Amino acid sequence: MTDSLLPRRALMRYGAYGAGAAALAGVAAGWDRLTGADIPGRDDGSLVIATLGSAFNPEAQRALRDGFREVHPDIRIRINPVQAYDWSDFFSKILTQIAAGTAPDLVYVATEGVQLFAQRLGVPLDRWARRDAAELRTYFADVHPSLVESMMYEGSLYQLPVEFNAADMYLNTRVLARTGADLPDDDWTHDDFTTLLRAMKRSNGDRFTPYFWTNRLWGGVVPWLFANGTNLLTESKAPGGDWLWNAFYPEAQRRGRGGGYRWTTPLADSDRVAEVYDYLSSLVQEDLCTRPEGGDGRNLVGVFSTGRVGVTPAGGFWAGGLHQAGMKPADYDVRYFPRRRTRRHQFGAAGYAMLRTSKLRDEAWEFIKYTARKDVMTQLFAANQTTPARRSMVDEARYRETGPAHWQVFYDTLDKIPTTGPIPAPPQVNEVEQLLIKHTGTALSSPGAVRPALRRLQGDLEQAMEREV
Amino acid sequence: MTNTEIRPVGPEPARTRKSRRTGQIGKSSGSTAATTIRTRGTRLLAVLFLAPTVVGIVVFTVAPIVGSVVLSFFQWDVIDDPRWAGAANYRKILTDSTVLISFRNTLVFMVLAVALQLLVALVLAIAVNGRMPKWLRSVFRSAFFFPLVLSAASISVVMKYLFNQDFGPVNWLLGTVGVPSVPWLTSENGAMAAVVLAYVWQQFGFSFLLFVGGLNNIPKEVHEAASLDGASGVRKHLAITLPLLSPTLLVASVVGIINALQVFEQPYVLTAGGPGDSTRTVVMVIYETAFEQLRFGEASAVGVLLFALIMAVTALQFRLSRRYVHYQ
Repeated sequence: MTDSLLPRRALMRYGAYGAGAAALAGVAAGWDRLTGADIPGRDDGSLVIATLGSAFNPEAQRALRDGFREVHPDIRIRINPVQAYDWSDFFSKILTQIAAGTAPDLVYVATEGVQLFAQRLGVPLDRWARRDAAELRTYFADVHPSLVESMMYEGSLYQLPVEFNAADMYLNTRVLARTGADLPDDDWTHDDFTTLLRAMKRSNGDRFTPYFWTNRLWGGVVPWLFANGTNLLTESKAPGGDWLWNAFYPEAQRRGRGGGYRWTTPLADSDRVAEVYDYLSSLVQEDLCTRPEGGDGRNLVGVFSTGRVGVTPAGGFWAGGLHQAGMKPADYDVRYFPRRRTRRHQFGAAGYAMLRTSKLRDEAWEFIKYTARKDVMTQLFAANQTTPARRSMVDEARYRETGPAHWQVFYDTLDKIPTTGPIPAPPQVNEVEQLLIKHTGTALSSPGAVRPALRRLQGDLEQAMEREV
Repeated sequence: MTNTEIRPVGPEPARTRKSRRTGQIGKSSGSTAATTIRTRGTRLLAVLFLAPTVVGIVVFTVAPIVGSVVLSFFQWDVIDDPRWAGAANYRKILTDSTVLISFRNTLVFMVLAVALQLLVALVLAIAVNGRMPKWLRSVFRSAFFFPLVLSAASISVVMKYLFNQDFGPVNWLLGTVGVPSVPWLTSENGAMAAVVLAYVWQQFGFSFLLFVGGLNNIPKEVHEAASLDGASGVRKHLAITLPLLSPTLLVASVVGIINALQVFEQPYVLTAGGPGDSTRTVVMVIYETAFEQLRFGEASAVGVLLFALIMAVTALQFRLSRRYVHYQ
């Protein structure tokens, strides 16, 4: 039976191949997953710090690295500046590094990611903060407690804030002059704001957009929600945190503080939220502001500095950008965000978070402390690319060259408006922001679209918030 | 061909097969040994030449595909170990309106983009293949191919500025001839149109080059004969150029469809999938589900469905090509 010999042999051969492959797969499955850290030379024992690449310029990065080496010559550090367009983009890249098994020891995290990192990846800094309380006293005395509270999660501290940005309102003074309008009062309302936009539109022609905004979590719809006494998600405080408030803040400043913010039930279908969307929709319909998809921070500096936009929400980070774009200190100014039911403002802050995977936790803490020093922050934030978290650094000297004239607004947004709080950023923040952006676009597409879109936003947010991150 | 070379149809006699293994039939043992060594040497050389490609395909194509299929049956958030989920990921994505809309958008985009891309490329290839100085032809060929070598992300950033409703040069130009401001990126139809235009502008160069090559392979005599028979220019293109170019059209459309079904950069940068979900594509959903929402299992399941869709569309194309593609 020669004919049947070959198939049988072939069968045996293929069977042997299969058994070999199965054995290989079994051996492979038995091993730990190979990761990027297994590449020879990749893990050299350095403390790896991931920063938002565009947050600091190369000189500042070098100064940070060299300065730390001088203080701690025994700790090898490697700064990994991750280039990203915004915080969401930055987190995606950090998560990719974690997936690849090359997680950094420290990550520069903004409010958007504080709770996500705290819940899944972060290490509470409580024991180190308690241990080095004497060393940290001057830092906390200089930093507004709201910023610190925004870096807490369920009673523990996860980051020391080094910068923040509240959404105040920037105005192009050349456009104001063309309009024949004065700089608004400190206490201006959304009605004053609308009147100003209409006057700007009349005086500056068809190719001019009075109000430019970017559809995102920070500085998009949220500041309007805060000003109307509402939020995207129900806000409350977690219990705990007394250890920190009692240790570092006087009685007056620790009243009402807790263990960090909690954002839970969505409020998208509430009347106050609908009021805000109706208002923004009316601005879109009147051609007084950019549509949600039209606003893009990437070309905002250009259109604002050339006088094609009159007003836009931004924080202290914009002073440096406008200066670089050639605007003189007198060419623009800043005011509080216009009030409606309340004067509450929104802010976002940032600092370094320690990752659970880090084997160099004590060294990481030393770096966190180092970056919170005033001299280090002064060096890092020399270009006014953000608002320093230390109150004493927000002074006339800092803004003399770049402007704006009313630079006090930046820190007064915290000091004089005690209700000011962080943008809603629960652990499900990525999905929340994505849904907000998507449904805001739909809601403002036509006058009748607001309520159906908000109902869909509410439903989607409820699902997202129920989901375990 | 001699009669001795004709072999009977059907299985070879067992003796012949055996002879192939032992090398003892009809040949002296010395020459047989030399042949065997030569054959083995040739095979070894072939294996060595093929090995880098095979290893590359296995490591970078087959393994990720298998990995994605396996991952699609797990829940994995990068941070913790994967957990078995069975078919839950598939059940979830098949009832998720965003996923379903993204497949619809991708198919709409594919039809519009591939049709426009092939049409523009074909018309320009025919035009460039006409009478013109050689240097001018080279200029056109380079110019049309040039966008293909640029980064899609950077093109999209520029396009976003060009199509901006309030500040963009496109609306400014249209305004100079009295066309009212078009909401390119802020209306559902305008956004899809902008994404398609940005994509086609970058991609048509590849199809253009294929068509130029295909046109050069059509014998001039056929066109000349048709001219003698009195066929007009359009008639010649419909009756001669298109049928003879059909193999090239098949290749261009297969590649175009596969690329279009994987579109990501243009909608991601230009519209972020908006307004609403109107330009959200399947690959965008995969990216957002995996890297923004940390649901790698669901993202893999969407990827597997997209893979199946691409395979199905490509198979359909090849099946249809038997009827519509004419090889010379």
